Amino acid sequence: MNLPQNDQELLESFKNPATKEQAFTGIIKKYQEKLYWHIRRMVIDHEDANDVLQNMFIKVWKGLENFREDSQLYTWLYRIATNESLTFLTQQKKRSTFSLSDDENGLSNKLKSDTHFDANKLEWKLQLGIQSLPEKQRLVFNLRYYDEMPYGEMSKILETSEGALKASYHHAAKKIEEFILNH
Amino acid sequence: MNQSNEIIKELQGISPMLAQVQKVNVFEAPDGYFNTLAEKVITRILLEEKDSFNFNKKEIQQVPEGYFDSLSDAILSKIKKEEAENKEEDFQKSFPVLHSLKDKNVFTVPENYFEGVSHQVINKIKSHQPAKVILMNTKWWKYAAAAIIIGVIAIGSLQLFNNSRDRDQIPSYVESSFQYKTPEQVDEGIASLSDDEIIKYLEKYGSIMDNDLLIKDVDVKELPATEDYLIDENTLNNYLEKIDNQSNK
Repeated sequence: MNLPQNDQELLESFKNPATKEQAFTGIIKKYQEKLYWHIRRMVIDHEDANDVLQNMFIKVWKGLENFREDSQLYTWLYRIATNESLTFLTQQKKRSTFSLSDDENGLSNKLKSDTHFDANKLEWKLQLGIQSLPEKQRLVFNLRYYDEMPYGEMSKILETSEGALKASYHHAAKKIEEFILNH
Repeated sequence: MNQSNEIIKELQGISPMLAQVQKVNVFEAPDGYFNTLAEKVITRILLEEKDSFNFNKKEIQQVPEGYFDSLSDAILSKIKKEEAENKEEDFQKSFPVLHSLKDKNVFTVPENYFEGVSHQVINKIKSHQPAKVILMNTKWWKYAAAAIIIGVIAIGSLQLFNNSRDRDQIPSYVESSFQYKTPEQVDEGIASLSDDEIIKYLEKYGSIMDNDLLIKDVDVKELPATEDYLIDENTLNNYLEKIDNQSNK
């Protein structure tokens, strides 16, 4: 039996007990990579990203029956992934016993501990610059720069006006540029 | 990683230097990670649901103490309640107008009536006149009983006097009655009688007692009403004291 690819069909199949698991497998397979990279760029470490991703899919399973179909499944999944990532980072900060300066936070350390990390390469400097941003600006920059998400979609996920998102993206890009130039 | 023109143009407007940086994904996911992710998530969900099911099963197994003892009563009570509700529903269906009027009270009471009811009742009870009753151990009763005793003794004496053969065999109690010649002496003699002596006599010669004789001097209008005895337990005593006082005047 072929899995439906259309969100509407997947949601209909999910409502049927006989095809529920199959439909959910289809939803995971359709969105897992996009969501994984979105989470991974926020939490940096693969194991953390894997935990957050699995936990968010379990919440999706529990909440999908009440999902209001007047919003897009894609937007709803991104919102859950974003919230779960921010919750994870908040909990991690609370657990941390180290006092970290703003530009030397735990995420930067995680980047530096990556086996492929090379401080001389521009792509790694870019990553360090992104990690130096406040969380909201980091989210906006990642969604726009990597996911190339339209501001209209982003506005629904982050519940922020498009104007504010554009301003946030502008500030984020400027800060990263400054970071790269200074490091 | 390709970059759409829209994103590049926007970034060039903000930071030309940043727009020239090649977009590279520096992160890596383990090989085959995405091939098994869905299966892992589904397995976790099913395990969690199984645990949740087992937890609920344990909860069901631990019923409150005495639950089954009262279960049948609880069920019967529920059935009765439902039956009553059904009757109400039937009534409503059969007589909709009557049902709609059932709870409508057309009567009114004065304002604050119910707040003052208890106070009014207590006051009424307190001010209620004591009832009338016949007292068994009053002086009046003693006089009535004594009059009968004297009458009996007198009749007995006359019979004895008329029978000359028995004159020498006059009983001592008859002889003792001869000393009561004036009302004062009778009073003193009666006063000396104990209640026990009077009761014993009445038990023996009770048939002589005439109810009309007992109640002829009693003003029935002054007797307490039947409900007075229910309202005030002291009604009887109050009345006896009253007539006792009146007889002493």
